[in-house]
Amino acid sequence: MAGPIASETVLLKACDCLTPFGGSVETLTALLSGERALQTQPVLGREGGDLVPLALLPGRALDETAPPSWLAQVRALLAPVNEAGWGTARRPVFVTSSNFGAGSLYAYRRSGDAAHMGYGALVNCVGWLRQQLGWQENVTIFSHACVSAHLGLLQASRVLQAGLADEALVFSFDFLSPFVSGGFNALKILNADFPAPYQARATGSIGLGDGAGYAVLSRTSGDFAIVAQSMYNEMHHFTANQPNGAGFEACLAPLASQAAGRRLWLKGHGTGTLDAGRMESGAFAKVFAGAPLVGWKGSLGHTLGSCGLVELALALAAIRHGRTPGTIGSAAPTFTAEVAIDAFANDRYDGVVCASNAFGGAHAALLLSHA
Amino acid sequence: MTDPLITRLKHLIVDTLHLDGVTPDDIDENAPLIGSGLALDSIDALELVVKIEKEFGIKIGSSEESRQALASVASLADFIRVRAKK
Repeated sequence: MAGPIASETVLLKACDCLTPFGGSVETLTALLSGERALQTQPVLGREGGDLVPLALLPGRALDETAPPSWLAQVRALLAPVNEAGWGTARRPVFVTSSNFGAGSLYAYRRSGDAAHMGYGALVNCVGWLRQQLGWQENVTIFSHACVSAHLGLLQASRVLQAGLADEALVFSFDFLSPFVSGGFNALKILNADFPAPYQARATGSIGLGDGAGYAVLSRTSGDFAIVAQSMYNEMHHFTANQPNGAGFEACLAPLASQAAGRRLWLKGHGTGTLDAGRMESGAFAKVFAGAPLVGWKGSLGHTLGSCGLVELALALAAIRHGRTPGTIGSAAPTFTAEVAIDAFANDRYDGVVCASNAFGGAHAALLLSHA
Repeated sequence: MTDPLITRLKHLIVDTLHLDGVTPDDIDENAPLIGSGLALDSIDALELVVKIEKEFGIKIGSSEESRQALASVASLADFIRVRAKK
């Protein structure tokens, strides 16, 4: 059964992201130049291990510190929108992440330093962040693996559409730790190779990246709109998708009717794994035949639960700039002809579908367009 | 004559994955390990890979290599022999 769709348009008043390149404008510039943020480094930080592709914020080590080393950069990211009043009844905050302070829990177990515990659990971490950023109590936390940010956007949209709020701040953050990179390395999908999203090659690989992003959603103000959203869960398997790719299609299909008449480009999830990449690109080609498909995790790595917001901010920046970065790190042959390796002008398009997928068979997608 | 590596791997699988009611002799060395009669899934595969890397001092480089190695007990034994020589 297809997931819920936000039936009314929600306006995007502000949106930005944080990657190793900087904000959305700096990141877009780097992507358009074909730069790769991923660099091979030890998967377990100071404890060594295999060399794997990771993209960390400048000056940030993989190992945890107390307080977390990313706070200053998060504060700077949110500064343009972090005026008083967030977290009140009419201006709720939705915080999403797939990790929160999981790395701090790991650090505590390794070091015994109790200072890590203040950030080591979901509620503690967000409570601390709320105090640091001056938000009031109306803060809701969501975590749903790598569609976490999409879930936050959808729930915030519902609150706005129900008239329960005037504006909503959706904020997502995922900063890497040895706990996270070590887990993906154990699964063998984070290995020595750089990711090549949607490329038909012998072995798959992903990269992981630090990332955070925010969106201010509004009922009345904004030049861009999230026209429709879809979420779907296959209920098939924890780490595998239905082999026929039906889950990807089921999530995208409801957006097709909302997008009717629009010329679209597509920003896929595209981590670099083979099975999911083949199924995802196949579903896109079926539902949105002929629309160019790009993925940016070949440069930025997978920013996990925050990828939905990070890549939404980049898609928005790409529309404003008039050029869409290509699928960095990939080369022909690709799974479908629609995969765009190179950057292209997007001024003849009037919408973009942004999709993310997650462990547990979860899929999410949204349609972004001018208001 | 029974291949001692095959026997060792069957014991390792039963012990590592705590397969209740399954003995090493129950495992067909040529049958698919994942998604067959043993009802192993990808999490079991992960546990096996970690155990095999540690036990035999070898490295499995990617998920595709892991899938190939874990096709059956016999293929796993072949994989270990080849890697152990390197």
